Amino acid sequence: MWGIFLESVVIFKNYMGFHQHRYLAFLYLGILLYLWFAEKDRHRRAVFVYAPTLLLVMFFCPLFRKLFVRLLDDSETYYRLLWLLQMSLVSAYGIIRLCAKHRRIGVALACGVIIVCGDYVYDSENISRAENAYHLPQETIEIVDLIEPEEGRITVLVPADLIYYIRQYSTNIELPYGREMLIARWDYHHPMYEAMEQAEVIETETFVELAREYPCAYIVLKEDREMTQPLTEHGFELYGQVGEFVIYRDME
Amino acid sequence: MFQITGILLWLIIIPYCIGLIPAAFTAADRRNPAFVFLAGYFVMWALFGLVTIPVVLFVRYDNFILASNCFMALSILCAAAGVGLTYRRKGSVRALVRTENPLQEGFGNAVRRMSWAERVEWLVFFILLGFQLYKAAAYASFDGDDAYYVTASLIAQQADTMYTILPLTGRHTGLDIRHALAVFPMWIAFVAKKSHIHATILSHTVLPFLLLPLTYLVYYEIGRLLFDGRKNGQDKGRIKRAARRVDSAASENRSELRSGENLPLFMILMAVFQIFGNVSIYTNETFFLTRTWQGKAVAGSLVIPALLWMFLLLSDGRERKDADGLRAKRTGTKRAGLWLLLTCINMTAGICSSIAVFLVSILMAVTAVCLAFVERDCKILIKMGAVCIPGAVYVLAYLIVGYGYLLQ
Repeated sequence: MWGIFLESVVIFKNYMGFHQHRYLAFLYLGILLYLWFAEKDRHRRAVFVYAPTLLLVMFFCPLFRKLFVRLLDDSETYYRLLWLLQMSLVSAYGIIRLCAKHRRIGVALACGVIIVCGDYVYDSENISRAENAYHLPQETIEIVDLIEPEEGRITVLVPADLIYYIRQYSTNIELPYGREMLIARWDYHHPMYEAMEQAEVIETETFVELAREYPCAYIVLKEDREMTQPLTEHGFELYGQVGEFVIYRDME
Repeated sequence: MFQITGILLWLIIIPYCIGLIPAAFTAADRRNPAFVFLAGYFVMWALFGLVTIPVVLFVRYDNFILASNCFMALSILCAAAGVGLTYRRKGSVRALVRTENPLQEGFGNAVRRMSWAERVEWLVFFILLGFQLYKAAAYASFDGDDAYYVTASLIAQQADTMYTILPLTGRHTGLDIRHALAVFPMWIAFVAKKSHIHATILSHTVLPFLLLPLTYLVYYEIGRLLFDGRKNGQDKGRIKRAARRVDSAASENRSELRSGENLPLFMILMAVFQIFGNVSIYTNETFFLTRTWQGKAVAGSLVIPALLWMFLLLSDGRERKDADGLRAKRTGTKRAGLWLLLTCINMTAGICSSIAVFLVSILMAVTAVCLAFVERDCKILIKMGAVCIPGAVYVLAYLIVGYGYLLQ
């Protein structure tokens, strides 16, 4: 039980970003404590004080965590229980209450604290300027436009960089394997993926044999991807190039 | 042009007209266009779940066509019923979009009554909201889950089938119960199909323009409840009536907060929290701005706050008198709309994410216990329990389909 409790503590710390020195949680906990003493309206007390406190207690309760994980068969999403606290909502309400007599200065100060203790969401490495209305890499769109059949579907082998995006643009392109192979902790195995991504140098003969099992109508490779022999010696033709991606078509 | 008409019809007009149904069963001092619009969305999403989930479970081929046709017919019927109800009650078309709250003035009057400082505060808030919308449109946010959810929408749009093709690869698959009951991507596909917009463009570029303001509308409604009333001396009659409504025990505590002046500051704080709430990749603030179109983000940022809004509305009504000084009925049609809405918000959680059903059930249970404790009244437990019945049916379906093999 102690171990489960400690796991919950780690989840809480990760959620709050303590490991990255983000301390917005203390603002919330401080406001919650303040509301315990300051909030006199019984209904608001129930919604903004008692319920969040009870939820926090439940979050750290090992028995509750065991039950939650058993029921949902998923321990990775336990952190979402913290969404129920609605920290920003409770904090904003508490801040306005706390600064009732000096509202504007108080809110300006609070904004300063949020900026210092929080993290600017648009700084994230996952956010970049959109290249098109699809919000997909432009290379993906150009590659699919080049190879997409007018009718029916084809299977295409693409590098890991494109796996997330290809089918968000066209579902006429099928893949031998998908995003599941890229998440290490999911622990999937796929011979085609191993031949394509894990080999330092692609063993062309085995690689082509595997690709034809699907069969892959096209193979897209990064131009600097090393192979024991060129694909053109195994019945593929160079079909085109988009940026750093070279497209081969199977002629057999 | 066709695309804009489709978007206007399915994202604005139909939800608003549907929202007139719960509004008709809600006390007049609770109704306003924001309430109607939000209510419309939650009823519409609940209807979508009600139609689509059985189709996903029991129909295998061309199931998206069947579900979208049934939903379209039901939505149009409900929208017509909403318009009909309002027209019958008020006898004019203008009543459809008019603020009916006697304590709340129209938009123009509200702006005229504001001090310059308040106007500047609202301006700051709208700049922050505009900034978020600009970032949502001009910047792409990478999230691996899109390979599943966005592609699932696109498959439904392009292949007219739901959850029979694996989004990640395109291979045919059996029913994946964990995702199949959370049909929010299918609603996106429905709107995409009706508006002839590629589901990926709709998800990444168009929907943030709906979901971000919709979420702030919930915050606005919460803020209005927490900080309602008017500035001292500006409308003494209204203030007096508002003050009379409040129990004497609570009025002292609220007097300093019952000022419309706090509302823009509250909204600014909420916007700043969203922009700087990215303390980890797990927070609902991060989900809100980086995965806006995913069901789980909608659950965390829209559905859960909407539940808090309902809790405040339902509990606030218990100690208020209505605008004419009469004691508000604790039961009956004037509150029936709120209970209907609470049920629909619960059902919306189901279409957003399977886990969200468990989460909102926990929140409902915990809040019900807390409210029962402060009110010394256990009836609230029974009522909240009744609201969770659709969620219980959902969980039952989840368990039977997901783990039914264990019974054989």
